[in-house]
Amino acid sequence: MSPSLALHPLVRADGSATFTSNLYTVLAAANGPVEVSRRDELPEEAAIEVNIRPSSGVGGPRERWMESVITSLLRSLLLVHLHPRMLVQVTLQITAEPSIKLKRGVADVALLPTLANAAFAALVDGGLPLERTMVAALAVVREGEVVVEPTEKDLVGCQSVHAMAYSMKGEMLLTESTGRFDLELWEDVSERLRETTMAAMAKAGEDEGMEGGAEKGEPWLRHALKENVVKANAWREGG
Amino acid sequence: MASSTILLPGETVPHSQLPESKKGTLTLGPNLRHLPQAPPASISILPTSSGLLQSDAKKIALWLDTPHARYAPSVGDLVVAQVHHSSTETYHVMLTPQTPYALLGQLAFEGANKKTRPKLEAGDSVYARVKAAGRGEDVEIECVSPNSGKADGMGPLKGGTVFNVSPAFARRLMMGPGKGGFVVLEELGEKLKFEVAVGRNGRVWVESGSVRATVAVGRLLVGCDEGGWGVEEQRREVRRAVREV
Repeated sequence: MSPSLALHPLVRADGSATFTSNLYTVLAAANGPVEVSRRDELPEEAAIEVNIRPSSGVGGPRERWMESVITSLLRSLLLVHLHPRMLVQVTLQITAEPSIKLKRGVADVALLPTLANAAFAALVDGGLPLERTMVAALAVVREGEVVVEPTEKDLVGCQSVHAMAYSMKGEMLLTESTGRFDLELWEDVSERLRETTMAAMAKAGEDEGMEGGAEKGEPWLRHALKENVVKANAWREGG
Repeated sequence: MASSTILLPGETVPHSQLPESKKGTLTLGPNLRHLPQAPPASISILPTSSGLLQSDAKKIALWLDTPHARYAPSVGDLVVAQVHHSSTETYHVMLTPQTPYALLGQLAFEGANKKTRPKLEAGDSVYARVKAAGRGEDVEIECVSPNSGKADGMGPLKGGTVFNVSPAFARRLMMGPGKGGFVVLEELGEKLKFEVAVGRNGRVWVESGSVRATVAVGRLLVGCDEGGWGVEEQRREVRRAVREV
């Protein structure tokens, strides 16, 4: 199943997106460039603030850690030098999570790709200046087999979980792993995830020619962003 | 104009999409950037957002439209601003939420001097023109035309209500009647009497004597923006709104 992405569900935010993966649903809102408090102001670039709101209760140290991971990822995506002494604010609300109880370490890593994809889509929707396009994906190793985009059942009793993000040019932007694995296995996983994420951004027409694109999944990110642009420009056709 | 190239952030703009230029210059508009350090043989222009690539062959310009991006002031834009507070010589006004206030001189009105300047209270709206907007400096606006010293329709907006729309929709409204595939205002104008002021910052001021009609006009504008109505749907909604008023 390919993930689903809906852009601009919120009217008041500058940019917003709802992203649903196999496991989680996250609603992201991006506002920026906005005024920054004196304390967080950076003289030569925009400050980035990420707030993660769990589906129930208030955030704790786990959310703070995820916020720091997402912040550093967004810093590598945004052209922060274009808005010095300003703030880009991203709020991520988790709206659906797996019904079964997962180990906390596993759950934290498993959530990261969904957060990253939702945050990225919200930034695109908000028209914030971005350097590159990226897709994040999750993989688990279960009984020695690599499972990309796992379901709830795959997560239970898996040996290791890996979250990675790649840019359109194939640069690795994020890698977080937990569990038992060795370097060889990690390299195998990273190659599989690279193929999956690249397929999500592949150009239409190119992707049949490229190493059997169909089995790697459809270019869902390109489709969703394209659809949004076509919708916004529909009036040009009629007028 | 009829290019249908949709780009994602960081993709290179295809060479075939660059407009031909005799002088060898190309103007880049919003959401595009040029990487000078790329090898000189290849022109490397990267989009910073996803959108439809627009080009103007006459002006040799290239830009990318984003529908929801926050309004960035540029000189000459007409905006609807709300007064936040005043100091001895200036009013501090809000163009977009959560950004530093813009400055409006207390004497930047038609025929204003120390004795006849308009008294604005916090919360009042003005229709103004962006006078100065630069990187790292305060935005300044004014309510007189710099050439003629006349108001030219700018000034304090009395009565009425301000509605929020997306900046892209405001740009579309400002294209003028019959353009931009938008007929709500023309259709309504045949049935109702009202006044509108469209600000590039995504604010529309509406006034029509009666609260009922003002709200009806504003709701049609917001509905058209959020619903992306086609021309037929706009006509249908206008007929319904007119019946209810």
